[in-house]
Amino acid sequence: MNDHRPIIQIKSVCKYFGRLKALDNVSLDVAPGEKIVIVGPSGSGKSTLLRVINRLEVIDSGRIIVDDMDIYDNSSNIHEIRAEIGMVFQNFNLFRHKTALENLMLAPVKVRKTPRLEAEQKALQLMDKVGLRDKAQSYPAQLSGGQQQRVAIARALAMNPRIMLFDEPTSALDPEMIREVLDVMIGLARDGMTMIVVTHEMGFAREVADRMVFMDGGQILEIAHPRHFFEKPKHLRCQKFLEMIL
Amino acid sequence: MYRAISLMVLAMSLLTGNAWAKTIVFATDATWPPMEFVDENRRVVGFAVDYMEAAGREAGFTPVFKVVAWDGIFAGLAADKYDAICSSVSITEERRKAMDFSIPYFEVRQALVVNRDSSADGLEDLKGKRVGAQIATTGYFAVRKVDGIEPRSYDEIGLAIEDLYNGRIDGVVCDDPVAAQYALRNKKYRDSLKIGTIIESGDVEYYGIAIKKGDTETLNLVNEGIKAVKAKGLDKEILNKWIGR
Amino acid sequence: MAEKQVTIEVSDGAAIPRTGDRGLVSAWRLSFLIALALFLYLIVFRQEPYLRLLKLLPDGIIVTLEVTCASIGLSVVIGLFTGLGRLSRNRLVNLVASTYVEVVRGIPLLVQLFYLYYALARFVLLPDMAAAVIGMSVCYGAYMGEVFRAGIQSIDRGQTEAAMSLGLNRMQTMFSVILPQAWRTILPPVGNESIALLKDTSLVSILAVSDLLRRGREFAAESFLYFETYTLIAIVYLLITLILSKLVSLMEERLGQYERP
Ligand SMILES: Nc1ncnc2c1ncn2[C@@H]1O[C@H](COP(=O)(O)OP(=O)(O)OP(=O)(O)O)[C@@H](O)[C@H]1O
Ligand SMILES: [Mg+2]
Repeated sequence: MNDHRPIIQIKSVCKYFGRLKALDNVSLDVAPGEKIVIVGPSGSGKSTLLRVINRLEVIDSGRIIVDDMDIYDNSSNIHEIRAEIGMVFQNFNLFRHKTALENLMLAPVKVRKTPRLEAEQKALQLMDKVGLRDKAQSYPAQLSGGQQQRVAIARALAMNPRIMLFDEPTSALDPEMIREVLDVMIGLARDGMTMIVVTHEMGFAREVADRMVFMDGGQILEIAHPRHFFEKPKHLRCQKFLEMIL
Repeated sequence: MYRAISLMVLAMSLLTGNAWAKTIVFATDATWPPMEFVDENRRVVGFAVDYMEAAGREAGFTPVFKVVAWDGIFAGLAADKYDAICSSVSITEERRKAMDFSIPYFEVRQALVVNRDSSADGLEDLKGKRVGAQIATTGYFAVRKVDGIEPRSYDEIGLAIEDLYNGRIDGVVCDDPVAAQYALRNKKYRDSLKIGTIIESGDVEYYGIAIKKGDTETLNLVNEGIKAVKAKGLDKEILNKWIGR
Repeated sequence: MAEKQVTIEVSDGAAIPRTGDRGLVSAWRLSFLIALALFLYLIVFRQEPYLRLLKLLPDGIIVTLEVTCASIGLSVVIGLFTGLGRLSRNRLVNLVASTYVEVVRGIPLLVQLFYLYYALARFVLLPDMAAAVIGMSVCYGAYMGEVFRAGIQSIDRGQTEAAMSLGLNRMQTMFSVILPQAWRTILPPVGNESIALLKDTSLVSILAVSDLLRRGREFAAESFLYFETYTLIAIVYLLITLILSKLVSLMEERLGQYERP
C-alpha cells in the first residue's frame, strides 16, 4: 500500500525456550501504516513473535530491524526503540498503584522527560479519545476490563509510538466489552497507525487487516490478503484452523 | 549444671571421708582477678577461693564455687540458689539491708585505671569524659557520684578494661587488687595502662561474704573460719601468693 | 483480573493488627489497655519504688528508640539492596548478596554485636551507638533482604513487561512501578521485623550502651528490687512495641487503598 522501506524487518528469526523452538526461521516485513493480523493455534508462537519485536524476549538467531535500527545491535538504545513501539497485553497490565491518568503520564515524564503539565494535557486528550475522560482519576481496580484495556491502549499511545503491537487484547474480556475496545483499535487503524495484532476476532481482521499471517509450530505458514485468506487458504492446517474458529 | 555440682560434691565428700562436713555453695562471678577468676584449666581460682578453702578446713565446711553472672548474683541468693556469695562483695549499708555479711576478709580501696599517657590524677580530672566500671559495684557508684562524668556500666570489669585499652573510655574504676592485676601484671595491658590514683572516698571498704538474711548457721561457720585464718596468719600466705604486697 | 495477594509469613515480631481482622484488633486493644492500666497503677499507687525507677528510664528509652529508628532505617536500605542483589542477573552481585544473607543468618546477633564492638576494635574503633546501629542493621538487613526479595517477586511479571515496553529502564521500572506496589506486601513483614528489631535492641546493653534494659539492670543490681524493676521494664517494652505495631497497621491501611474498588 505504500512504497516506503518497511518499518519492521524480521529476518530468519529463531527463538528457543530450552529445547522448544518457539520461533522457527520467521521472516516478515511490515510497511509503514500497514495492519497485520496474526492468527494461529495456541502455542504457535504468536505472542513470542510480538515480544521479540521490542526485545521483551531475546532471539537466538536472525535479525530484527525497526525503523532502520537493528534492535539486537548493542549500539542501539533499546529503551528508545521500545518507546517507539506501543504494546497492549491480554491482561492489560495497568500499573495498579496509579490512577488511569498517572498510568498515561508515567512513561512520558520518566522516559521522554516531558513536563508534567504537558504530559497531563496529552493524557487527558487520550483519555478523551478512548472515551474515558471521566475515569481519569480512577484506579485500575475501579475500572471494568474493557475500560482497563482502553486505558492500556491510551497509555501506549501516550508515547506517540510509530508501531502498535496487540497481543490478544480482547481475549480476557467479557463479550459485551469487546466491542468498545475493538472500536478504539479501528479508530487507530483509520488514523494510519502501523499495527500488528494477534486476535481471534475475525470480524475485526476482515475489516482492518491489510495482510493476514497464519502461524503454527513457530513457523509462518501463510501470509495473504484477508479476502484470499478467508476464502481459500492454501495451507491445509490453516484451513482446518479457520474451520474450527469460524 | 547445678545437679552436676551437687553430685561432684557428694562424691568428693564421700571420698575424703568428710561426709559430716557441711557443704557451703558460694556464688562467684569469677571475673575479678586476682580475687576470683577462671584460670586456663577452667577452674575457679584466686585469693578468695584459697581463703575460703582455708576457712573451710579450719571451721569444718566444704566450699563449692558456682559461677554466676554479677548482675543477677544477689537475686540468686535471695532465691536460695546458693548459700553465700564470695565475689569481692564490698560491705555497704545499702546491701546490709538486703543480706547479712560475714566479718571482713579483705580491705580494699577503689582505684582509677587510666591509659599510660593520661595526666588524670583523679576522677575530678576526667570531667566531660567517660569512665567505666562494672555494673552495680562500689566503683560504679563512685563514678556516678562525680558530676560531669559520663558513667558507663559494663557487665564485666574485663570488658571495661578492654574498652579503656581500645580508647573508647578514659578511665575505669575498680577495686585496687583488680586494678593492680590488670595495670601491673596482665601481659596485654600492663604496657598501656596504669593506676592513676587510689580514690580516697573517706572510709575504706571491706569485702565480706554475703549470706542470706537469717541464715545464722552458715554465717557462724564462715565467721569462725575467717577468724581462724586470721589468727593463724594464713591470710598473709594467701595474700603473698595472689597479690604479693 | 484481581492481582493475587501474597502474604509473607515471618515469625518473631509481635502481632500486627490486620485491617479488618477484628479478632486481632481487640487482642491489640486488650494488651494495650492492660499494659497501660498496670503502668498507671504502679506509677500512681506504688510510687515507691516504681516512680523512682521510672525517673531513671527516660534516657534509656530515648537510647532504645534512637537505636531502633536508626537501625530500622538503615536495615530497610540494606534490605532493599540485598533483595535487589539477590534478584540480580549479575552473577557476582547475586553471589555477594546471597553470601551476606547466609553469613549473617548463621551468626547469633549477640555474637555479631560483640564482634563489631570488641573484635573489630583492632581495626576500627566504632563509637558505641554506631556499633549498636550497624550491628542491628547488618543483621536485620539480611532478614529484610529476604522480605524485599519475596515482595518484589510477588509482583506480576506483566507489570515489569508493561513498564519495559513503554521504554522505562530497569531502575525506573523498579522504583516507579514494582517497589511502590511491592510495599503493600513488604510492609507487614517489614513491620514484624522492625518490632523484632526493637525487642532485640535490648541486646545492645552488653555494649555498655545505656538503653532501657541497662538502666533497669543498673537499678535492679543496686536496689535488689528485681521483681519490681523487670516488671516495669517489661511493661515499658510492651507499650512501645504495641504502639509501633499500631503504626505499622495504620501505614498498611494507607498503602492498600488503591486496591479497593
Ligand atoms: N517464557 C517462556 N518459557 C518457556 N516456554 C515458553 C515461554 N513463553 C512461551 N513459551 C512456549 O513457547 C511456545 C510459544 O508460545 P507463545 O506464547 O508465543 O504462543 P501463542 O501462539 O501466543 O499461544 P496462545 O494463543 O496460547 O497465547 C509455547 O509452547 C509456549 O509454551
Ligand atoms: Mg499468546
